[in-house]
Amino acid sequence: MSARAQGPFGSASVAVRMVALAVGVVAFAVLPLFLKSYGVYLCTLFCVYLMATFGLNLTVGYAGQMSLGQAAFLGIGAYIAAIGMKAGLPFYAMLPVSAIACFGIGLMLGFPALRVQHHYLAFATLGFNVLVFLIMRNEESITGGTFGISGIPRPGFFGLSLDGNLAYFWFTLVATLVVMGLLGWLLRSPWGRAFAALRDNPIRAESLGINITAYTLFAFAIGATCAGIAGVYFASLVQFIEPAPFHFSTSLMMLLGVIVGGSGRFFGPVLGTVIIVLLPEWLRFMQNWYLAVFGFAVVALMIWLPGGLLSIPDKLRLRRRAQ
Amino acid sequence: MTPFLEVKDVRKSYGAIKAVDGVTFDVGPGQIVGVIGPNGSGKTTLFNSILGQIKPTSGRVDFCGEEITGMAPLELARRGVGRTFQSLQVFVKLSVRDNLIAAAQEFKGTLAARLIAPPDAGLGDQADRMIELFRLQHVAHLPAGSLSYGQQKLIDIAMAFMPAPRLVLLDEPCAGVNPSLVDQLRELLVTLNQAQGGSFVVIEHNMEFIMRLCPHVICMVEGKVMAEGPPAEVQSNRQVLEAYLGN
Repeated sequence: MSARAQGPFGSASVAVRMVALAVGVVAFAVLPLFLKSYGVYLCTLFCVYLMATFGLNLTVGYAGQMSLGQAAFLGIGAYIAAIGMKAGLPFYAMLPVSAIACFGIGLMLGFPALRVQHHYLAFATLGFNVLVFLIMRNEESITGGTFGISGIPRPGFFGLSLDGNLAYFWFTLVATLVVMGLLGWLLRSPWGRAFAALRDNPIRAESLGINITAYTLFAFAIGATCAGIAGVYFASLVQFIEPAPFHFSTSLMMLLGVIVGGSGRFFGPVLGTVIIVLLPEWLRFMQNWYLAVFGFAVVALMIWLPGGLLSIPDKLRLRRRAQ
Repeated sequence: MTPFLEVKDVRKSYGAIKAVDGVTFDVGPGQIVGVIGPNGSGKTTLFNSILGQIKPTSGRVDFCGEEITGMAPLELARRGVGRTFQSLQVFVKLSVRDNLIAAAQEFKGTLAARLIAPPDAGLGDQADRMIELFRLQHVAHLPAGSLSYGQQKLIDIAMAFMPAPRLVLLDEPCAGVNPSLVDQLRELLVTLNQAQGGSFVVIEHNMEFIMRLCPHVICMVEGKVMAEGPPAEVQSNRQVLEAYLGN
């Protein structure tokens, strides 16, 4: 198995990996049966964020670009869906509309990346997030401003109601698995290798005929599309949206999720999203201290595991080899 | 012999400094041409001017009868012009095999077609043959960045040949390579030249390597071509000796 495709289970066989993945998915799918309403909401929110962080992992981890604007796409997807559904359009129509809109805007956001890199690009994308946030807050006639948009309906599924929290969780989980599957397929295709080449050495990549302009733009556009789709599911989950969840601080948390999980590792965002969505909730018993402990845990992770949580098996393997 | 690559009076200046000062030479089909010269003589600047990495101040470069002066590296790659760089340029996180596949996959079908192509883009066998040729089988599945400098240099060179380019410009292929590997490298280049039929232009400081590999050698000093011809003739040229050893 190539290094590019090496999964979180190291050198374990494909069959072992697939079984482990299936067990993990089934365990997560049945987990909300044992949780209260807020727990089910958190699991659904986890799925929503997972779609967005998986997209960001493609942009940042695989293609080597920098983005601090992922929350803006989450917001764009959510607002397009909310406005459309309030106007009576179905969820299933808003899903492709939001995805296409985010793809187009993501493509445009990729243009600065053709000229600037690293921290300059981080600020360019952060500026984009701030701009989108201000539009959401100030364009009251379209977005409802700080009052937001309420009464966003939940979709049905072949006549089945998804108004219940559990049903909507499973609906979102399936969408998350579809997004993960599509990204997995994309990254195993020659495109995945081209993204990695762009990340590792763009000058060499271009000299080998790799169209770094196209791949840079697509890295942004595909990442943005994932966040846009997540935004549609988010709007129907909370049924009320306002600008606050799409502040650039959310983009920072998503980037943190990608890096803490393991940037450029396929399942990295899963662990990263656990850290950014679920860990703060688990730490709430510490009351006033929980954010301090969360911050300390993140700093410690970055110091001891700069490659993310999924670099632990590699580190252990290297240590074993050294012995 | 009809020239394959024609470099005509190429100049590149940085303010008052003439890095390349009116260089003219031809490369025929299948020919291996060596470019030698002391440090700072303008060899790499000449390469970069030919390969679109920098735009020459004046002059013209033709490839197969078509002007390619200042053409972007991507366009040159599509026309069958490959290169290696003076410093190592591999994809460090990709495996050796993936590095080789990445080097040729963009020449297989369109961008959209590659989206639904098999993961190895149909280049797996070709990559394996190249791995065998370069004797990299034992490290084929390791990330390129985890290998020694010499091994990465071999990958770097193998990558340039994966798309079977019509012209390859190699910038100091022996730099940093263990002396025991230099002979192996020369044999590999001869094999690839015969198998693929491409033309090579090789910049190198290792005189023995260049004299044994290249039937035609160009010596550059201070941005100009000081001597040109068969290796023995260039090697015995008094001006060349002075440029290398001083008066």
